[in-house]
Amino acid sequence: MATFTSEVFQNEFLPDGGTDVHAIVRVTCSGAGQAGAAQGAEAAEIVIVDTSGSMSGNGIAQGRYAASVALNEITDGTWFAVIAGNHVGTLVYPAYGVQQMVRMDGRTRAEAIAAVQRFKADGGTAMGTWLTKAKEVFLSVPHVTQRHAILLTDGANEHETPDQLTWAIQGATGFFQADCRGLGDRWQVDEVRRIASALLGTVDLIPSPDRMAQEFAALIRASMARGVAAVDLRVWAPQGAQVLFVKQVAPHLEDITSKRSLVNPLTAAFPTGAWADESRDYHVAVRLPAKTIGQEQLASRVQVVVNNEVQTQGLVKATWSSDESLTTRIDDQVARYTGQAELAAAIQDGLAAKAAGDEDGATRKLGRAVQIATATGDEEMTSRLKKVVEIDNAETGTVRLKKAVERLDEMALDTASTKTRRIKK
Amino acid sequence: MTGLGARCSACGADRVPDAAFCEACGMDFATSSPPPEGAITEVLPRQTHAPAVTAAAGEESPLDVGWTGPVIGGVAVEVDHPDEPTCTACGEGSYVDGYCDQCGAKQPDPRSHFTEEPAPWVAGVCDIGKRHTRNEDAMALLASAEQLGTATIVVCDGVSNTTDSHIASLAAARAARDTLSGAIPRGMGTREALVAAISQRLGEAVSSARGAVVAATPAGDAPTPPSCTFVAAVIDGTLAVVGNVGDSRGYWLPDAPTSTPVQLSHDDSFAAEQIREGVPRKEAETGPQAHAITRWLGVDSPDDLTPHTMAVDLTEPGWLLVCTDGLWNYCSEPTELRDLVTRTTASLGEHGRTPLAVATALTDFANASGGIDNITVALARVGSLTADSLPVSDPAQAEAPAPAPAQAEASVPAQAEAPVPAALSPAPPPASPDQPVNS
Repeated sequence: MATFTSEVFQNEFLPDGGTDVHAIVRVTCSGAGQAGAAQGAEAAEIVIVDTSGSMSGNGIAQGRYAASVALNEITDGTWFAVIAGNHVGTLVYPAYGVQQMVRMDGRTRAEAIAAVQRFKADGGTAMGTWLTKAKEVFLSVPHVTQRHAILLTDGANEHETPDQLTWAIQGATGFFQADCRGLGDRWQVDEVRRIASALLGTVDLIPSPDRMAQEFAALIRASMARGVAAVDLRVWAPQGAQVLFVKQVAPHLEDITSKRSLVNPLTAAFPTGAWADESRDYHVAVRLPAKTIGQEQLASRVQVVVNNEVQTQGLVKATWSSDESLTTRIDDQVARYTGQAELAAAIQDGLAAKAAGDEDGATRKLGRAVQIATATGDEEMTSRLKKVVEIDNAETGTVRLKKAVERLDEMALDTASTKTRRIKK
Repeated sequence: MTGLGARCSACGADRVPDAAFCEACGMDFATSSPPPEGAITEVLPRQTHAPAVTAAAGEESPLDVGWTGPVIGGVAVEVDHPDEPTCTACGEGSYVDGYCDQCGAKQPDPRSHFTEEPAPWVAGVCDIGKRHTRNEDAMALLASAEQLGTATIVVCDGVSNTTDSHIASLAAARAARDTLSGAIPRGMGTREALVAAISQRLGEAVSSARGAVVAATPAGDAPTPPSCTFVAAVIDGTLAVVGNVGDSRGYWLPDAPTSTPVQLSHDDSFAAEQIREGVPRKEAETGPQAHAITRWLGVDSPDDLTPHTMAVDLTEPGWLLVCTDGLWNYCSEPTELRDLVTRTTASLGEHGRTPLAVATALTDFANASGGIDNITVALARVGSLTADSLPVSDPAQAEAPAPAPAQAEASVPAQAEAPVPAALSPAPPPASPDQPVNS
């Protein structure tokens, strides 16, 4: 039986007239067990591999191998399927044309591994069709409580319109989760991030085909370790208050504010997907009507809910004080994550500006990113930034865009921007 | 009542024949002479009191062995979570985890504001004030039902910036009250003997209060152990004795404008030292170090905790006021304070003689003046409790013969400030205190 605990990090003291309360709520799950292992729970996994023409050669060979490795990691009893993706999504296992998932066992694993050896690099890329196919296949086992896919692409979504992709994403949202990976340097980070964000998954870069198998294995292992199917974060705020945002800030940045659904007029629920034994941090910001000095109130109640049952809750408080030594302090965790969020935004905006040919904007944003990374001692990000810009003065954020930049370095900087690091309490 | 010899002269408990010590209070019969024939050996009425909230800190003091008596009258208010289903702030939500589930308002902490009214003539208000996030003031009151029977008023001001001072101060006040609730040995029955006995008991109350603070101190070397001030007034008939350690105060404020109000305590503070050195009171009490106290109750308190004590005869209508600096910050001089009380009672109309109403109004005054600190105001009323004959501002009063001033005297150590009226003339009987002065 999974157990959830929560901790709140905040400075509850607001100055006279202060309205905004920021808190980091750390939620930790233990005893999650294995996916589909809990009473009444069943899990389904779909492996989606890009088989477009650009994958030919070593790409498709490694794709076959990586898919085989992934299938080996799927635990027996899990419902599964394999989809090959190009300008259409095609079910390659259980069987061409049969939209029915099967349970993993020795026989089905061997059949599936044999099937993926027939992957052929051909055609274009339309990821929306892959998602739609995956949803169709998942629907063959409607009683399954936990659905997850891994999606690999090596190119931009060139064979359908952005709207078509959007519709496909909307159809899949809330139905299954997907961790997405891009191979090489020809895919679009923001495009794939859009899929992963909506489907409560992660996005990352696989620089070369020979790294695929390792990454696939890790993704499936992580998915199989998620024994708690659907966890909601519920955020209550008092009457007259406004929830400014709710962001997951660790292990990676994800603004989940727009995923809200109302539970009651004062409470919103935010889906967080399936959980393993892990810890995630959420940044909750609430705007309150200011009260008089000395008053204390509850600013937010943050609950973790599984099957409509509250597992744990954290209380975010506000106390108005005239003591400046109390009100001017910013909680370390809040400060750190606020800085990391600004850093991520500066990097993404800077790279977007550069891609759009706005050199001034790109220089300014990436300079700001260098400044934040330096100020917070984020050496990993500073070294990634150094591959994209020449740093004249790190403290003031004075940089010049490098003339020749490896596209992979830019993409690595982009995908790494949302990975956050924790600080000790 | 059985024969005098069958009872302990100190606590009134039955005396076991041939016992060397009292079973109840431990009094040594060998060294204490039996009361002379006809001496007043009447025991102070025993009263109910609220049990201490903090068990560890409120455990029975060794100085208070066995004295828990039958109910004569008087009620003490327990600081307890009242059952409040509906939010007092928005009137809609209910409290979950101590906060309103609609507006988020914090469920009022009963520790932040509480009142005690053990008898109609004794009451107090203990309030968080406006600027502090915790009420570290505390009080514990006791009183007999009949006016000027007996009463005990203890007020402690927890020292800010120390750990758990709000727990320590309440435990201290209650422990002191319990110690003071024991019968006072009448000795020879003279006023002098009674003053000495009460003064000694006040010293014992300081010890038990400190014991309670020590018991409330977390184990280990806390850098800022809890500590508090101490002031207690014991009323026994028309005699009142006030003892203090720190800068919480007692005042005697006679109604009659011609009588001199006096401060009955002696601040152990840097400001008081400055005043002794000639710095004007206002300047000293508002200076940067004004609130630095030189003696306090705590694990780190100074060795000498003998309370300053002062006695006063309550022989004319007036108010015995015990308070923390949360009030006197805004009104320190005895005459100013008496004027404030006079204005307050006048504004309260028919409630102007009710200690609870006046204490509440004085607390409101302190809050309206800034409420920079926690506020405790406790009052005992001498004279009429009804407002039908409130003194009115009448120019004729000035020509009236001066009512007798109260006698106030300082004992260990001598009070250095506020000249005390020495003259003692026969006071009007408290039973008819409100004869118009100009009649």
